[in-house]
Amino acid sequence: MKRSIPFELFRYAAILAALAVTLIPILWMASMAFKPIGEWSATGVDLTWWPKEPTLSNFRFVFGQSDSSLIVALDRTAMKPILSSLLSASFGTLIAMSAGTAAAYGLSRFGSGQNLPLALTQLRLFPPMAVMIPVMIMWAFLNLTDTWWGLALIYGIVTLPFAFWLMKTFFDDMPREIEEAGLVEGCSRWRVFTKITLPMMRAPLASAALFVFILNWSDYLIALLLTTREWVTVPVYMASLSSSMTGQLYGAKAALGLIAAVPPVIMGIAIQRHLVRGLTFGALKQ
Amino acid sequence: MNLATGPDNAMAQPPAARTPGRDESARLGFRLTLPAQVLVLFIAVFPLLMQLYISLTDWSPLDGLSWWMAWESWNNFYNYYDLMRDNRFWSAMWRTFVVIIVCVPVEFLLGLGLATLFVDDFRGKRVFYSILLMPMMVVPAVAGYMFFMLFQSGGPVNDVLSIVFGTRIAIAWLSDPTLALIAVMIADIWQWTPLMFLILLAGLVGVPQDQIKAATLLGASPWQRFTTIVIPKMKAIIIIALAIRVIENFKIFDTLYIMTGGGPGVATETISVYIYKLTTQDLIWGYVAAIALAILLVLSVFTVYAMKRMAAAREVEA
Repeated sequence: MKRSIPFELFRYAAILAALAVTLIPILWMASMAFKPIGEWSATGVDLTWWPKEPTLSNFRFVFGQSDSSLIVALDRTAMKPILSSLLSASFGTLIAMSAGTAAAYGLSRFGSGQNLPLALTQLRLFPPMAVMIPVMIMWAFLNLTDTWWGLALIYGIVTLPFAFWLMKTFFDDMPREIEEAGLVEGCSRWRVFTKITLPMMRAPLASAALFVFILNWSDYLIALLLTTREWVTVPVYMASLSSSMTGQLYGAKAALGLIAAVPPVIMGIAIQRHLVRGLTFGALKQ
Repeated sequence: MNLATGPDNAMAQPPAARTPGRDESARLGFRLTLPAQVLVLFIAVFPLLMQLYISLTDWSPLDGLSWWMAWESWNNFYNYYDLMRDNRFWSAMWRTFVVIIVCVPVEFLLGLGLATLFVDDFRGKRVFYSILLMPMMVVPAVAGYMFFMLFQSGGPVNDVLSIVFGTRIAIAWLSDPTLALIAVMIADIWQWTPLMFLILLAGLVGVPQDQIKAATLLGASPWQRFTTIVIPKMKAIIIIALAIRVIENFKIFDTLYIMTGGGPGVATETISVYIYKLTTQDLIWGYVAAIALAILLVLSVFTVYAMKRMAAAREVEA
């Protein structure tokens, strides 16, 4: 359809405004991450929008290199929280994807587990806050509190619905002729699943796994309740960073925030095509 | 369906229904769904029973008693009675409600507006699209910290306002009860408008173009086409998008807690923040369990409704 020139102008103006609003908070944090301490807060007159003397000292600081201008040194560095986030999010993704893919295939092909769609949707919709009391009690009982594997287990369960729904819509969309051919050749159904179906579904599996990983990586509340010291994740660690000497460690926190924010944004853009499907539980495809 | 076509027919039927390996299928199906079933049982059924039990007592982790001994402080539904009269709970509910009532429509309208601009092709569409989706991929806790920095009294928001109004403005956004709530809602709108945009755009693109062309030929104005063709076609999608945001907004915690911690005072204390504080500071877990169950009950009703809508939309798709 041909559009008039005023419309095109309006469109670009509106989109540019939206882009500015979208990017300013992100850029502000990025700029903060590279600012030396003197430019952090603008209690004085001018606010520095762009670092005047860009520095990597904030990044060095969160990884433990003491910095004389910051006075304080951290009692623990960002290394362990990053490791904790990586381990819990990865293994949580592994749990969710294994159980979710298997269940999705079972339901899609053999009609097993008819209760799962409703049960898993409810699981996804309920606020985690509302089931955390029993989870905290159980985790303490099982010695899972403040461990990355304890977090991985709860992440695996919390994101199971996403893994299940995504994989179910992918399996439903997959043509069955190839599986049929495998059966005719005398493969068992298990062999068909592992040797034919799964290899064919590599790309969807990867997208779903990235999607689930982003969700796990983004968690704050669960880690806040289930970790206390040893295995706190990046967001929890970031929020706890402050010091009596310098107040909020703006630059250091911004540096951490940037480290935490970059991977999911890149992954998210990589799986853009499947975002709608994942977010609406397959109700909508793109 | 024609049943007499032999091999063709075998392909059309679900294989489970007619091949001799039916037992094998059933067994494999059972085994494949078992891990998910176990996880659901592990996180849903048992904890809910535990929660129900604890909610009928005054149990606290400080008691030094195991949770199964909670009956020693049995209190005959008194927690639920307390809940009815708990002003802080109701004001937290009200605040959560305000956040939903403000944020969801704003996100919807902004998202829809943006989506309509993206239906047809134009230069730079793909790049703009990717950038506009970025906020929803930012870790919510980090987004909270971004807005915490933006709204500092010496921060960029005040700086921009100072330039616009020509005088020095140093509003302490996050220390003012009303402004803090507004700031929190702005952060939510920033982060989740892209979700509305994404879902609504997927819906808009799916509206059949021939109907729109036909309406155009018949002389319908763009607004008429929008209200009589586009909106009705997208009804299911709109409901899904709204339902997702209502449910997510009801849980609002990460960004808000990082920005204000529920403060100043209790000015931005939403239901999740209130429960969090009761859990970690007051440690009255019996009461928390009661609140949690009450909320689960209310949400269940909403969830079943949302589920039905999603199922209906899935049917349409198929």
